[in-house]
Amino acid sequence: MPNLNINGRNMSVEAANDTPLLWVIREQLQMTGTKFGCGAGLCGACTVHLNGEAVRSCQTSLADAVGKKITTIEGLSAKGEHPLQKAWVAEQVPQCGYCQSGQIMQAAALLSKNTNPTKEEVVAHMDGNLCRCMTYSRIQKAIMRAASDMRTASATGSERRAT
Amino acid sequence: MNKHVKDLAPETTDLSRRSFLVGTAATGLVLGYAASGIDHALAAPASANVEPSVWYSIAPDGLVTVTCGKADMGQHVASTMAQIVAEELGANWKDMRVQLASNDPKFNDPVLGAQITGGSWSTMMNFDAMSRAGAAGRIALTEAAAASMGVPASELVVRASTISHPKSKKSMSFAEVVKSGKATKTFTADDLKAIKLKSADQYTMIGVSVPQLDIPLKVNGTAKYGIDVMLPGMVYGALVTPPVRYGATVKSVDDSAAKKVPGFIKAVTLDDKTTTTTGWVVAVANTYANAKKAAAALKIDYDGGPNAKLSSESLFAEAKRLQGLSDSGEFFVKDGDPNAAFGTAAKVLEAEYTTNINIHAPMEPMNATAEFKGDILHIYSGNQFATRSGAIAAGAAGIDPKFVVMHQMWLGGGFGRRLDADMMVPAVQAAKAVGKPVKVIYTRENDMTMDFSRPLTYQKVKAGVDGDGKLVALSHDVVSAWPTQRWGIPDFLSPSVDKKGPLDAFTVNGSDFFYTVPNHYVRAIKNEMAHNATPSGQLRSVAPGWTFWAVESMVDEIAHATGKDPAQLRVELLDGKGKNDGGAQRLRNTLLAAMGLAGYGTRKLPKGEGMGVACVSSQERATASWTACVAHVAVAPSGEVTVKKLTVATDVGTQVNPDGIRAQVEGAALWGMSLALFEKATLKDGGIEQTNFDSYTPLRMSQLPEVAVNVIANGEKATGVGEPAVTVVAPAIGNAVFNAVGARVRGLPITAEAVKAAMKA
Ligand code: FES
Ligand code: FES
Repeated sequence: MPNLNINGRNMSVEAANDTPLLWVIREQLQMTGTKFGCGAGLCGACTVHLNGEAVRSCQTSLADAVGKKITTIEGLSAKGEHPLQKAWVAEQVPQCGYCQSGQIMQAAALLSKNTNPTKEEVVAHMDGNLCRCMTYSRIQKAIMRAASDMRTASATGSERRAT
Repeated sequence: MNKHVKDLAPETTDLSRRSFLVGTAATGLVLGYAASGIDHALAAPASANVEPSVWYSIAPDGLVTVTCGKADMGQHVASTMAQIVAEELGANWKDMRVQLASNDPKFNDPVLGAQITGGSWSTMMNFDAMSRAGAAGRIALTEAAAASMGVPASELVVRASTISHPKSKKSMSFAEVVKSGKATKTFTADDLKAIKLKSADQYTMIGVSVPQLDIPLKVNGTAKYGIDVMLPGMVYGALVTPPVRYGATVKSVDDSAAKKVPGFIKAVTLDDKTTTTTGWVVAVANTYANAKKAAAALKIDYDGGPNAKLSSESLFAEAKRLQGLSDSGEFFVKDGDPNAAFGTAAKVLEAEYTTNINIHAPMEPMNATAEFKGDILHIYSGNQFATRSGAIAAGAAGIDPKFVVMHQMWLGGGFGRRLDADMMVPAVQAAKAVGKPVKVIYTRENDMTMDFSRPLTYQKVKAGVDGDGKLVALSHDVVSAWPTQRWGIPDFLSPSVDKKGPLDAFTVNGSDFFYTVPNHYVRAIKNEMAHNATPSGQLRSVAPGWTFWAVESMVDEIAHATGKDPAQLRVELLDGKGKNDGGAQRLRNTLLAAMGLAGYGTRKLPKGEGMGVACVSSQERATASWTACVAHVAVAPSGEVTVKKLTVATDVGTQVNPDGIRAQVEGAALWGMSLALFEKATLKDGGIEQTNFDSYTPLRMSQLPEVAVNVIANGEKATGVGEPAVTVVAPAIGNAVFNAVGARVRGLPITAEAVKAAMKA
């Protein structure tokens, strides 16, 4: 039985190697925050992190995920307080909300490497994530807000370290 | 009406004749309108253990939970309802919670008498009832507190979930009053009517952008949508849908290869007496991945049926033929005599406007979970029309609708798609066939090719202008499938003015505009061929999405033909005479607001750029939200259109949550732009050709223009905001393209090829 490391826990699953990771997460592990939107890598609703990279779980086989660290929306932060999640609430981003787990996971991969993205970098990074409710401008604002919050936090953090 | 779909007649639930009960139950205080009709036994005076038609409850810890009978598909309607209750109740916003209703008739819409969400009706129709419910709760709590404190109720002040007596400095929280068990009261219908509601200047909650109650659940993955339902012992169904949208039949199913798929349980060929689906097969297996593998392994032989040769071209050709017949269709508007007026007009303009098939494609693909428990069929699905969907589920199961319980979930997008109930049929019949709960999930391909789409439309508009350049006659023929007639509910059809028979007003709404035109007719013509081949549905904004495309393009064409500024011509036509008094002035003001905000006509734009205006009274004359748009576009020599900015003004009367309204209007405007430029589905050999987001391509972030929204709240009654802005954008863009490069495009979507061709012409 394959073993998955997901949100910091090891869990054994029972599924064929070619099963899309998406369905393993949703059905077997019953973590339904990761969504199915297109099954073809075209919408981003199913985005999770594999070793910190944003990937489409509908296009990732179970076999490809074994031995890697998987993070889903449920594991992005312990209490749902990732700067992006807070910014998403502050900007009141979600409408139906269905695409938003994927949007947040996609954005989180960007900010983990670059907490000072330009608008163009944000658009280029996020363009694969569809939002049928068209919340795009609020998504952009929330990413910028979270980035700024992260910069402030790390600035005060390093000041503290320096003293 | 289909005899397999029963009980569709909306039950009258006139709250103005109902009493309101406040009673104590084990869970705290329950408050609601006494039910009528089938459960009127409960309409006895409030007493312990009696749960009236609960609209909200207050738990012993003071948390107020409002039950929402509306489908929440991103418009935050549950939160809005809670906000209206909280205003009159005097509750603290942080104590408010929402939950979704099941399909018990007690949660029916007080005005429509059914559970249906659409047409931007929710806020408008529930405002008074929710306000009175909140006020009644406050009165009951206050009287109970007065008794406990030994002071007159009239001296008490209610604020932020606390009832205080300023003179004695005594106070009680809602929680304490609830725990006292004394807040029991019955209001007669007359008592309720006599309650004096707050006036707008007394509001502390309405008009404030309080945070939407559903948003926290939607940033941490905990909001449960239909697709997330998990039941013990549940198995999964994957669909095989035929190559033809409607009318195919299954001749044979060979499941020998599917049988080799591990976990495969059964292939179920639907026997759909509700006629919602044709030729569908469900492969049932232990997991969805296995169900999909099994579905792919099924070898199915079809008879394509009567529509198997049809294409978008044949539907357009049929529409033209029907429009050409003098006795086609029924009259929706008939003022004066346009045909006679054309004879004496100085100038006559004639044009054809078309729109292609459009697909809802909400991000959550259609799905439903069905479970038979004893006599009861439980359905779990996010649905906009629980009353009818329950009846379809019952029809698919061959049982009476009263044995169906619909469990509402959050909707991963609705846009009108979830008014339909096709997903119930495979879930119900698969669950019946395998004797287990079954969750059926559409693939995106199923979802797109089996959409109840916005119909392909063909409109012919003729306008007559007199010697002074005044518009004196307009004739408007609208040919389309009839989405609402398909429901088989007579109440949703409208009588025609020529008494020829009922017509589907959801194909012509909007064409009865607020412009003053002395001779004006509108004919609603049903395209039977399209109706059968592409069963159509309600797509966000419905008819005004195409009628205003035609009307607002034609008004622009008239302006250019008579040498007038298109915005100025609209202001002239909105003179507020006769039946247009009131509405016309509001629309004119809204248009002027949008023009001002956009700087219309105040500066010279670079070559290849232009601004265009449009203004609409969507959805219906009686329920209009006055909306205007100025689109600013840049057109490349290739014909490619870039939208630089959309400026939208909308008069919504009263706004409950301004930030929520802005979100809706902005989303609606972008939908309008997406439909105007990027979304096109086509029929070929009876099937929809587009199958996923590579060929059907809604707007993405990189295509986002600047959007400026101006919400006008002038204290009139609250109107809907989820849809009108959808309808105003396409004509504004089309008119802007004309102003930019002189290309008049009359078909949606506006493609680079069409613009380029029109530039040359
Ligand atoms: S579901 Fe994976 S990209 Fe759409
Ligand atoms: S919020 Fe509905 S799809 Fe993005």
